[in-house]
Amino acid sequence: MKVHIALCAIALACGGPAFGQLKGQLDIPQFATLAKKASESVAVSLDSKLLGLGCSFLSTDDPEQADVKKLCTSLSGIYVRSYTFDQDFAYPQSDVEGIRRQLSAPGWSRIVEAKSNKEGTNVDVFVLLDDDKAMGLGIIASEPREFTIVNIVGNIDLEQLHSLEGKFGVPNLGIEVPKKAPPPAPPPKKSR
Amino acid sequence: MSENFENELRRALRPLDAPAGFTERLMAALPEKREIAPVATPVPQPRRVAQRFGVPAAFAAALVVSMLLGQHVAEVHRERTEQQAGLAASRELMEALKVTSQKLDLAYQAAKAPPPPVEEENRT
Repeated sequence: MKVHIALCAIALACGGPAFGQLKGQLDIPQFATLAKKASESVAVSLDSKLLGLGCSFLSTDDPEQADVKKLCTSLSGIYVRSYTFDQDFAYPQSDVEGIRRQLSAPGWSRIVEAKSNKEGTNVDVFVLLDDDKAMGLGIIASEPREFTIVNIVGNIDLEQLHSLEGKFGVPNLGIEVPKKAPPPAPPPKKSR
Repeated sequence: MSENFENELRRALRPLDAPAGFTERLMAALPEKREIAPVATPVPQPRRVAQRFGVPAAFAAALVVSMLLGQHVAEVHRERTEQQAGLAASRELMEALKVTSQKLDLAYQAAKAPPPPVEEENRT
């Protein structure tokens, strides 16, 4: 009986989010077949260890790198898959939908939904909020000849993301930084 | 025949007294009193110690030096590997942020673009 309970517990533990996966981390496949078909591909997988190592090699003299260094100290991972094709819609929509399904899980909220019918561009930006703190950022950008998924994991400081505005071409997306409500003022003492 | 031979042999080998003055002449012919040479006892020489322990000591020293050298080479290799991995990771980080910013910019451009004009109905 105890063995059955233990097996059920293990099955439940492994059946949920992928084992060892951090909060805000998406299960992004390697897209090996897409990489073969793509004319250009970018695949970046930086877990907390590699991210820390990469951050330590950024120069503080370069203002751009110094800002990134400040930002990445609170992050736990950055995962990017970007594929460019020679033909329109050479990638299966099921790959996009698989990621989109993960981003529809509770906790994730879409902050930007941009669709251009003329250019066939569709960009969605999602944020995983936990106690008014952004713990994950997900971007799905699908264009006729390009397919990009970005997942940034960790305590994302939206103010710091704002500070990257202008650098790397990060535009002002109008992301509202949630501010904590001030503590209630003590009731005034009644004068007798 | 054999008896004669034996007798001759006995006669020839019979003991004879030394001639007169033989002892004096012999003693005079002997050299002066000689000093007895001391027997040399084996004393451990530094060279022998070196011969005995030199090879193992050199071997041990070579072993220690090779170990230290190996450790140093491994340390240098580890540092170099770590540096290469760090530089590659920082390049990937910048590349990832570049892609992120491009896509955020795309979202911004798409969100900023004016909505397509609605075709007016033919009122005539």
